[in-house]
Amino acid sequence: MMSHLSQAFAEWMAGGGREIGEIHIEPVEGGFVLSHRDDVSRTDVMAFSGAEAARDLAHFDEHGKFRPLKTAPNLRRGWKLHLADPGELRRALDYFYPAMLGVWLSQQRGRLVTVSLRDTLARQTGMYAVTKKITDAQAQTMIGSFCRTDGGCLKRILWPIAPGEPVTSLPAEKFQTEAPADTLPLLCHEACNLLVARARQVVKRAEASA
Amino acid sequence: MTAKPHSALIIVGHGSTVNADSSAPTFDHAAEIARRGVFGEVYCAFWKEEPSLRQVLHMVEANDIYVVPNFISEGYFTRTVIPRELELSGPVTQRDGRTIKYCEPVGNHPRMTELLLRRAAEVAPGVPPEKTSLFIVGHGTDLNENSAVAAKREVQNIAARGVYAEVLNAYMEEDPLIAKWDEHAAQPNVVIVPFFISDGLHSYEDIPVLLGIATESGGAASATDKEIFRHNPYQLRGRSLYYASSIGTEPLFADVILEQVAAFDAVHAATVSA
Ligand code: SF4
Repeated sequence: MMSHLSQAFAEWMAGGGREIGEIHIEPVEGGFVLSHRDDVSRTDVMAFSGAEAARDLAHFDEHGKFRPLKTAPNLRRGWKLHLADPGELRRALDYFYPAMLGVWLSQQRGRLVTVSLRDTLARQTGMYAVTKKITDAQAQTMIGSFCRTDGGCLKRILWPIAPGEPVTSLPAEKFQTEAPADTLPLLCHEACNLLVARARQVVKRAEASA
Repeated sequence: MTAKPHSALIIVGHGSTVNADSSAPTFDHAAEIARRGVFGEVYCAFWKEEPSLRQVLHMVEANDIYVVPNFISEGYFTRTVIPRELELSGPVTQRDGRTIKYCEPVGNHPRMTELLLRRAAEVAPGVPPEKTSLFIVGHGTDLNENSAVAAKREVQNIAARGVYAEVLNAYMEEDPLIAKWDEHAAQPNVVIVPFFISDGLHSYEDIPVLLGIATESGGAASATDKEIFRHNPYQLRGRSLYYASSIGTEPLFADVILEQVAAFDAVHAATVSA
């Protein structure tokens, strides 16, 4: 029996779904070929096969630098990846964009609970407990630069700073969950640990200069 | 372990935003367990990488979920961070029709002793243990972790087997200091095994510098520094020194993860109906 997620993803593909983040998916004879969306028509690319190859492709950028945030818009180019079946495709996509298929399906089914930045920060302990002290203005500026689609992160933000207090430092597209039929949206339902770590830096710097 | 085709396994690692190798063993062990087909689904989750602890449950389809922390000891992460981020209420959490079973960290398993012995033997093939001092090296100053306690327990367990002439604890930043290994060790052969879950700056550079087999790179250490493990033995301070990579890179960790699942079932069989 096909799992709900595999089923939903297969339906999305059947409906013309082709793009996730910077990845283009091309159904071919005997499976699928993945590539960077800007490399679709290129032929001078390195050929890989199997889901495990996606791990390295996703782990380092063009300059061999580690990518801790997989939705950063710096997926390397110059490769194509052949995957034999839908199971391999799903595993590869979980390396390229971890959890994004699952989060998308939860959102489709109305089961994605979003968490405000204030709630995320309130929960922190240890070295991140200090992030609670970030001001709303500091948070807006930080998000406006750290999460920006161009150079920061490709996810759409679904959370507010606090209930009734939306993020206003980024353009409206950053908060839209709808996507064209051929595109599976990358969704951020809660601030990531990298943003929390950045909030710590912001608070510490402000304290040091006060 | 009996197969669990209707259950999911989540292996939780710390991860890192700077060290590309931090998550590697966790991914490797997950791939190995997935290959064996023991669980219907196998995932990793990380505190500092993706999928995060806040995302991973959206990937899981099974209603019966085992969580195994890939940590060397119990401590702040296993007691505070992981339960908080996964919203666990104890060893067994029932939520939204799901049962989440929170197992002990890998480092707590009695088989760790065997894995350390295996790694020590592998790194110094043909070297007689009765003429060897074996060091288990920990960090030492991690206030909230019990890794030093776990390292001491392992040293006692290995010593009790009477195989090595000497088994010693040493730390990077507190006594007994690994930098003084030649003062602590009485044998002509010395084997060093870092008691860490993954390789990284500590095992690639910090410990080698303290041992005297490398010089500081000024932050240039990278994956290429796996070279440091390929030049054994080092002839230094009148001894033959054998330096192993972190214990967490041992492929048998995959077995230990599965055994922590079995251990959970053995303890909680009476309270959980699968
Ligand atoms: S908080 Fe969300 S949008 Fe911002 S960088 Fe992290 S994952 Fe991307």
